[in-house]
Amino acid sequence: MADKMDIDAANGDKEEEKVGPAPNLPAERIITNNFNLINQAVDSFDARFTLRALRSIATIRKATDFPEALAFGIRTAFPKPQNNARQVLEEMLPEDVRSGGAQQNGGGEANGAAVKEQDVVEIAEVWVYLGLLVQVSDAQYWVYLFDHQEYQRGADFSSNFVDKIRSFNRRTMDPIGAKAYFYYALFHENLAPLPPSEQSPVIEIRPVLMAALRSAVIRKDDETQAAVTVLLLRNYISTADITQADLLIAQTQFPASAANNQVCRYLYYLGRIRAIQLAYTEAHANLESATRKSPTAGPAVGFYQQATKLLIVVELLMGDIPERSTFRQPSLEAALHPYFKLVQAVRVGDLQAFLKCVHAYEQQFRSDGTYTLILRLRQNVIKTGVRMLSLSYSRISLRDICTRLHISSEESAEYITAKAIRDGVIEATLDHTHGHLITTPARDTYSTTEPSEAFHARIEALLGMRDECVMAMRYPMNKHRQEIAEAAKARERERELAKEIIEGDADADDGDEGGFEGM
Amino acid sequence: MAEHELKQIISQLEKPHNLHQAPKLLSKAKLGLLHLHALVPSANTSPQHILLATSVLEHGALLSIRLKDTEAFTRYYQQLQPFYSLPHERWHRAGKPKNQSKVTGLYLLLLLSVGDYAGFHTVLEGLEMSSGKEHIEKDELIQYPVRLEQALMEGSYDKVWGETKGERVPSEEFAVFSEVLINTIRSEIASCSERAYPSLQISNAKNLLFLDSEGAVIQFAQARGWVAKDGRIYFPQQEAEMLAAGKDVMSSSNTVIENTLGYARKLETIV
Repeated sequence: MADKMDIDAANGDKEEEKVGPAPNLPAERIITNNFNLINQAVDSFDARFTLRALRSIATIRKATDFPEALAFGIRTAFPKPQNNARQVLEEMLPEDVRSGGAQQNGGGEANGAAVKEQDVVEIAEVWVYLGLLVQVSDAQYWVYLFDHQEYQRGADFSSNFVDKIRSFNRRTMDPIGAKAYFYYALFHENLAPLPPSEQSPVIEIRPVLMAALRSAVIRKDDETQAAVTVLLLRNYISTADITQADLLIAQTQFPASAANNQVCRYLYYLGRIRAIQLAYTEAHANLESATRKSPTAGPAVGFYQQATKLLIVVELLMGDIPERSTFRQPSLEAALHPYFKLVQAVRVGDLQAFLKCVHAYEQQFRSDGTYTLILRLRQNVIKTGVRMLSLSYSRISLRDICTRLHISSEESAEYITAKAIRDGVIEATLDHTHGHLITTPARDTYSTTEPSEAFHARIEALLGMRDECVMAMRYPMNKHRQEIAEAAKARERERELAKEIIEGDADADDGDEGGFEGM
Repeated sequence: MAEHELKQIISQLEKPHNLHQAPKLLSKAKLGLLHLHALVPSANTSPQHILLATSVLEHGALLSIRLKDTEAFTRYYQQLQPFYSLPHERWHRAGKPKNQSKVTGLYLLLLLSVGDYAGFHTVLEGLEMSSGKEHIEKDELIQYPVRLEQALMEGSYDKVWGETKGERVPSEEFAVFSEVLINTIRSEIASCSERAYPSLQISNAKNLLFLDSEGAVIQFAQARGWVAKDGRIYFPQQEAEMLAAGKDVMSSSNTVIENTLGYARKLETIV
C-alpha cells in the first residue's frame, strides 16, 4: 500500500523509483492470482483479500511488461473480444500493446478458456480491479511521456469509471473504489491549467468528489470516505481555498477506522490548514502525529520529508527550536538542508542571516509551500534575538540592542522589547529615562509549575498513543460469529459432560472420590 | 435600456459629492444588474456586462468604506470574488477591473483592524497562489497592509504610526482605517508599558503613546486605571500579579489532583 503515498512523494526526492521490491513473479501471473484473491474476498465478504490484491499494484506497475501483462489479464477475464466490458478497458491501453495483443489473440483465447472454468467473468469486482489497473497503467505510461493530451483521455476514462463504481454500490468494492478516486483526482490535477490557476479542472471535480463523499457516508464506506475527504482537502489546498477546506473539516467526520496512510495525509493537510490560520499548537499536534505515523523509508519517504519540513517551520513559529537529531536522519538530511540553515539563523536570532537564508532558498521554500509561513518567522527571529541579549546581559542600552539586532531606530527597539516583556519572552524591565533594558534575575524553574506541565504533556501524548494503538487494531470480519459458534459448541460439550457426570454419579455412588479430586 | 441606465448611475457614482445618495444609487444599480443577469457571473455573461457589474460592485465597496460601513464592504468584497477569479479571456477587449488591488488591500486592512490575523493570512495565502509573487510584491496597495501587519507583529509600533500618517497612506479610503489602527496600537502599547516599566514620566508617556498633550495622557491613564502623581505614571499591576500568583498555587494544586486522577483512571483501563 506504500504506493498510496506517492502523490506526495513526488514532491520530494525522485529516488523512490529505485527502491521498489523486485517482482518475483511475472506481472501477468500476479494479476491472474489477484483475480482469485478478489473472488475469495467477494465469497467470504472479507476486505483483507482485496487489500492484498491492491497491495501488489506497487509491484506490478514497476514491471517492465506491465501494459502487456494487463492486456493479458483483461483477455483472461473477458475471453470474448466482443465483450463490451473488455472493449471499454482495452480502448484505454497504449496503441502498440493493443495491436500486439491482437496478434497473440489466439494464445490469449486458449488461456482464457482454461481460466474460464474458474468463473471469474461475471464478478463486477474483477472488472473494477482491471479498470483500476488500467488507470494505474495510464498514469504510469503518461507520466513518463509527459503527454498532456493523453492525460485528458485518462481523465475522461476515470470520470466514467468512478461514475460506474458509484452505481454498483457493493461493499466488497469499496477498497478498489477508493483507489479509483485517487487516480481520478490525480489525472485531473495534471490537466492544464495546473492547480494554482482558478480555471483548473480540479475545481470542476469538486462536486463529483463531494457526491462521492456523500454516498460513501450514507453507505458506511469508510475506505472511500477517508480517501475522498483527503482528496478534497488536497484539492482545496492546491488552489489555496483554505476557508473552504476548513469548512469541510468542520462539517465532516474523518472515519476512525481509516487506513493509516489516509490518516497520515489527513493529519498533514489538517496541520497545514491550521498553520495558515495561525493555530500553531493544533497544527503542531497534527503534524507531529502525521510524521510519527508515516513510514520513514521506502517510496513514501517524500511524504515524510514534506511533513517534517512543515513541522519544523511550525515549531519555529511556536518559538521552539527543532531537535538537532531531526536533521541527522539519513532519509531527511539532504532534503532538510535549507531548513537546517533556517533553524540556525532563527536559533541565534540573527535577522540578517535569516533574511539571507530566506532569499537564498526562496525557490525551494516556495515549492514546498512553506514560504509564506517562513516570512512570518521574522518576528520570532527578533524575539529570539531579544531573548539572547537579555540572557547574556543584566543591563543593556537600547542603542546596543539596535545595532546588534539591526533594528532601524531606538524607538522601535523600545517598543519591541516592551512587547517581548508583555508576551513573556523575557523577564525584564525598561528604564525609559536612561534607555536601558534591565533583566530581572531568573527564577528557579523547579519552583514553578513548568516541570509538571511538561511531564503532563508527555504522559498525555503516550496515553493518547496507546489509545490509538488499541483502536487501530483490526479484527477480521465475522470473527465474532465463529466465536459464538464455538461458545455454543463449548456449552454443548459442557452439557454432555454434566450429563455424563450425573450418569457416572448414578453408576458409581461411592469409592471413586479420588477421581473427582483430580478434576 | 438597463445597460444605458447603469452607465449613467456609474457616472453619477463617480462624482464625489454624491456620498449620501450613493446607497440608493447602488441598490438601483444592483437591480439593473439583476435584470441583465450579471450580478453573479455565469458562463455566458458578456464581457461588457462583467465590466459593468465589477465597476458597480467596486464603487459600492469603496463607497461603503467611505461611509464606514464595514459589513457592506465585506459583502461587496465577497460579491466581487467570482468576477476577479474569471479567466483573462473573459475580460478581453472590455479591459481589466480597475480597483482589484485596492479593494483587496482594503479588505486586508479591515481584517487587520479587527484583529483577524488568521483571516488576513488566509487571504494573503490565496493571493500569493493565484496572482504570483512578483505581482503581489509590486502592488503598493497590497504591500501596505502587509507592511503594517509585519510591524504590528514585530512590535515596531512607531513604524505603524509612521505608516498611518498623511502622505504614506496610499489612498484616501485607506485613511479611514488609520484611526482604528492608531487606537489598536495605543492599547497595545499601553498593555506593554504596564508590564515593561515600573513607572513612567508623563512627558515620556505622551511620546510613547502618540498622544497630543499631557492632559490627554492623564485622561488615557485614568481610563486604563493607572495612577498619575508627581508627574509620573505608576502602573498598578504588581499587586494584581501578586494576587494572581497566590491564586496560581491554588489552581495548580487542583490541576495536579485532576491530572493524577486521570493517570490513575488510565492505568486502570490498561492493566
